Amino acid sequence: MSTGANQIIRDGLWHNNPALVQLLGLCPLLAVTNTVVNAIGLGLATLMVVTGSNMAVSLIRNRVTDSMRLPAFVMIIAALVTCTELIMQAYAYRLYQILGIFIPLIVTNCAILGRAEAFASRNPLPKATLDGLMTGLGFLAVLVLLGGMRELVGYGTLLADAHLLFGEAARGWTLTVFPDYRQALIAVLPPGAFIGLGLIIALRNRIDHHIQQQQQARQTPVESGHKRVRVTGTFS
Amino acid sequence: MGTQFDFPGGIHPPDNKLRSLQTPIRQAPLPDRLTVPLRQHRGDPGRVVVAVGDHVLTGQPLSEGQPGRSVPVHAPTSGTITAIKSHEVPHPSGLEETCILIEADGRDQWYELAPCPDSASTAERYDHLHRTGVVGLGGAGFPTRDKLQSAEAAPDVLILNGAECEPYITADQALMRERPDSVVAGALALWRLVGAGRCLIGIEDNKPDAIEALRQSAEGTSVEIRVVAARYPSGGERQLIQLLTGLEVPSGGLPADVGVLCQNVATAVAVDRSLRLGEPVIQRITTLTGEALARPGNIEARIGTPLDHLLFEAGLDPQRLHRLIMGGPLMGFDLTTTGLPLIKTANCLIAGTAGEFPDPPIPQPCIRCGLCEQACPVDLLPQQLYWFASAGEHRKAEHFDLFDCIECGACDWVCPSHLPLTDYYRHSKGVLRQEQKEQAEADHARQRFEERQARLEREQADREERRRARQQAREQRHNVAPAEASEAATAAASSPTAPGPDRETLIQRRDQARQKVEEAQAQLAEAREQTPEAVPKLERALNKHQKRLDAAEKALSDAQEDT
Amino acid sequence: MLTTQRIMLWVMAATLPGLLALIHFFGWGVLINVLWCMGIAMATEALILWIRARPVQHTLMDGSAALTGLLLGLSLPPLLPWWIALVATASAIILAKHLYGGLGSNLFNPAMVGYALVLVSFPEAMSTRWALPLSLQETPLSLLDSLSVFTGLGSTSVDAFTGATPLDDYKHAIDGAIASQVTTAPIYGDRVALGWEWVNLGFLAGGLLLIQRRIITWHIPVSLLGALTIMALLFGYDPDQSVPLSLHLLAGGTMLGAFFIATDPVSAATSNRGKLWYGAGIGVLLYTIRAWGSYPDAVAFAVLLMNLAVPFLDYYTRPRTRGHKRAGRGVPS
Repeated sequence: MSTGANQIIRDGLWHNNPALVQLLGLCPLLAVTNTVVNAIGLGLATLMVVTGSNMAVSLIRNRVTDSMRLPAFVMIIAALVTCTELIMQAYAYRLYQILGIFIPLIVTNCAILGRAEAFASRNPLPKATLDGLMTGLGFLAVLVLLGGMRELVGYGTLLADAHLLFGEAARGWTLTVFPDYRQALIAVLPPGAFIGLGLIIALRNRIDHHIQQQQQARQTPVESGHKRVRVTGTFS
Repeated sequence: MGTQFDFPGGIHPPDNKLRSLQTPIRQAPLPDRLTVPLRQHRGDPGRVVVAVGDHVLTGQPLSEGQPGRSVPVHAPTSGTITAIKSHEVPHPSGLEETCILIEADGRDQWYELAPCPDSASTAERYDHLHRTGVVGLGGAGFPTRDKLQSAEAAPDVLILNGAECEPYITADQALMRERPDSVVAGALALWRLVGAGRCLIGIEDNKPDAIEALRQSAEGTSVEIRVVAARYPSGGERQLIQLLTGLEVPSGGLPADVGVLCQNVATAVAVDRSLRLGEPVIQRITTLTGEALARPGNIEARIGTPLDHLLFEAGLDPQRLHRLIMGGPLMGFDLTTTGLPLIKTANCLIAGTAGEFPDPPIPQPCIRCGLCEQACPVDLLPQQLYWFASAGEHRKAEHFDLFDCIECGACDWVCPSHLPLTDYYRHSKGVLRQEQKEQAEADHARQRFEERQARLEREQADREERRRARQQAREQRHNVAPAEASEAATAAASSPTAPGPDRETLIQRRDQARQKVEEAQAQLAEAREQTPEAVPKLERALNKHQKRLDAAEKALSDAQEDT
Repeated sequence: MLTTQRIMLWVMAATLPGLLALIHFFGWGVLINVLWCMGIAMATEALILWIRARPVQHTLMDGSAALTGLLLGLSLPPLLPWWIALVATASAIILAKHLYGGLGSNLFNPAMVGYALVLVSFPEAMSTRWALPLSLQETPLSLLDSLSVFTGLGSTSVDAFTGATPLDDYKHAIDGAIASQVTTAPIYGDRVALGWEWVNLGFLAGGLLLIQRRIITWHIPVSLLGALTIMALLFGYDPDQSVPLSLHLLAGGTMLGAFFIATDPVSAATSNRGKLWYGAGIGVLLYTIRAWGSYPDAVAFAVLLMNLAVPFLDYYTRPRTRGHKRAGRGVPS
């Protein structure tokens, strides 16, 4: 497989975005994106795990037999998730409490196992690392976007409780976009997550469609310059 | 009086029948020129038995039936045949068909008619009907012989369909009220012919005059007059059977499957006249109606009469004519020209004005209101079929029993979004039929290929067998006593096979050549069906192989002669 | 002949008795809501049609957007601030209708999506803003007062004019009392529930008109009300323990839901048999949520949940095509 770095970056962030195109890892995605800070927390944790697992899997890819492949990958991912969990307990305990079960559940995030299986197990370390990083970033971006939308509509703020993640210094980061906002609970509740994700996917498809159309528009003049070839009559 | 049975759905459109019932049935004057299409029925056209320039008499056969559903047509009047050529015919597709054009001589001299002899067997009587061109006159044009034959045993019930549920059409009603005796005679003739247990005439309650007339005529016979409530489409074959007997014709089956035979009243009259007088179907009663006609009514006209002749007769105002419809407003189709001939299945001609038949409004999205479902006489889910058909999911439509749709148009009529639902169903059916045809062809081609493959293997095995047998024979020859061997050797030496290749090689060559020829033939046959552009090339190849085969065979026979 | 437009107009006209009763008993707020929601619905529809490059005028004239607005206006509490009605209506048209492909393609009843959305989002405003019947207000709200509540301008406080609906009140009050004590409260009036009984009878009359005009069939209302009745008799037979049948039928949005909302053909089941199951499902859910859930009324949730079940119902309730031995099932993949 000869995938260029450029391609990997574009795939991870856009063309093959785990959340918007593959629709993987939706459970944590929908569950914890009610605020930006929660979204960043889970996104960073996932980013760490997917990068780490891609690296580890790539390193051992020539040494595990096929039959042992999946258990090995799962072990690696589980170990990394446990590390992440411990780190969060140490440095962002409040956030760890808020995200709760969804941190250990990163193990079951199909996007991570999917990348390990589909990419890291067939590519050398640098590429696998880059892919993990980009997949994680793509996931993080969607989480933050969705979290932002839901927090904005639901509470009228952005980055509320940033200190949970970034320490006391971040306490003042909260942006109150609509002062005196009456909370629109629907956005914060699960239906809001579904509606929001649906809208983001629709937007992505719309942009893709637009890009395609533009490309086609760029290509047509070349074709219209062709001379018409003889299409009637018999050929021998 | 009424019936205890019912079919689901149905609609009550305004029937607009009164306009064409003001006057009795009129006789249309003979036209100067007539156009008789060879195909006026469901099936294939017959073979023409006359030539351009021939003088024909009224009732003389113009074509003869071929095997299958191919019904002859007859000269509607005496005159000279001026042409046999493609001409536009009344058909929804607007396609042309081969027609026989006759210049009438005005004398209307009859051909000598042969009634069916009393001694004739049932099968002979069926054939007699076929020879005299009797087909279903209710609108479908199904060959009557084939319909009668569809029942293996005598049906329990014979039903004459006089329901005539479609708005505007009154041809059967006029027939029943003015010639009830001939209708009853037709019923009796058919009854005798098929030997059913009972004979019913089904008729809608909006035709009291016809009911009364038939009652009087049927007095003293065992023909039962059954009155059903007027509701479209009670005149549909399956619907009428359900109304009168409570029996459902199985999907994909025939009325014969439930022991019923159903015939239109006009067909019954034609059957009677055919058997008793030998008279072929050369005329029919047609309703001429619509607001663009000054003298609407029912008219008895010869088959092949140009429609404009009839419309002129009925006082057509071309300025007011907006739509010309053949058949009823629900199941009929638009005609784009008046230069078409009258055919056996044409029961009605509506010359509608713009006020009567306004252009359909722009369709709106289906809101699944379910009105169509309440109207469907077959209990289909029309809205669901529409969703499938419009999305191109024809297989799903088929699964939702698309082919049980009788295309009665009741759903179109009730649809509040003005969707042309039946058009969607017809389209979908067409696509599916095409698919089925292609599938059958593909199956056929595969079967042929497999058979050929099997044959080649068989031949290969045969050759192998022969070769082994020869080998054995040779070995045996080598093993016989040396004296004989030396004798054989001298014989062999004296034999003239020595020059050129031996017989073994020649046979091999011939077999190879034959195989090539066969392969080329198969390729060619395939190409003729699938890739016509490759045909010439393959033909040349076949020629080449054929020549080689000939050469090889010649060489072989030469060699054999020599030995 | 019925046209889509005429169907919508008939449905709108049939809401009139109920609408008049609502205005008569609960004040101008109802009318303000209805007009506002209809206006917003049509404006939103026009905007989306324009964005989607569809014929705006032709499509707008089919009346479906106006009907959605009307039904929402009838469902929302009369003393609601303007922006909640706006959110409800706009999301009904945009989220529930056009994101699914416009008229005829929506999976859910748009009005009920809008209603549920604001009910979930703004529970406090939605459940406490029901106006008391005018006769129970100390000084009945004038049109101007209603407008000032609606716009949020002026200083009219709504607290004096609002209260729990009988359905809600009974459910909570019966815990510590017996039926005869509870129903002495003025909101129950002399018969079942002051005002509400007439509102529901009005919608019932309109619904019967629709059935008579063959615009809706009897299946959904009958099975819905039947299932609700059976549930109420089975589980709520003792008025000292739970809300009695009379309140279930004649208070709250029962009749509006049964005849006008559940019968929305686009989001309802297809076949007659399917409609019976669909209506029965709504009836059961309606009772379930009212009796054992935390929301006082449940038409919106019951309808939306059964909307979800429609493909399933359609799968199993195809009618038997004539000429076939048994009904077909399902869809080939």
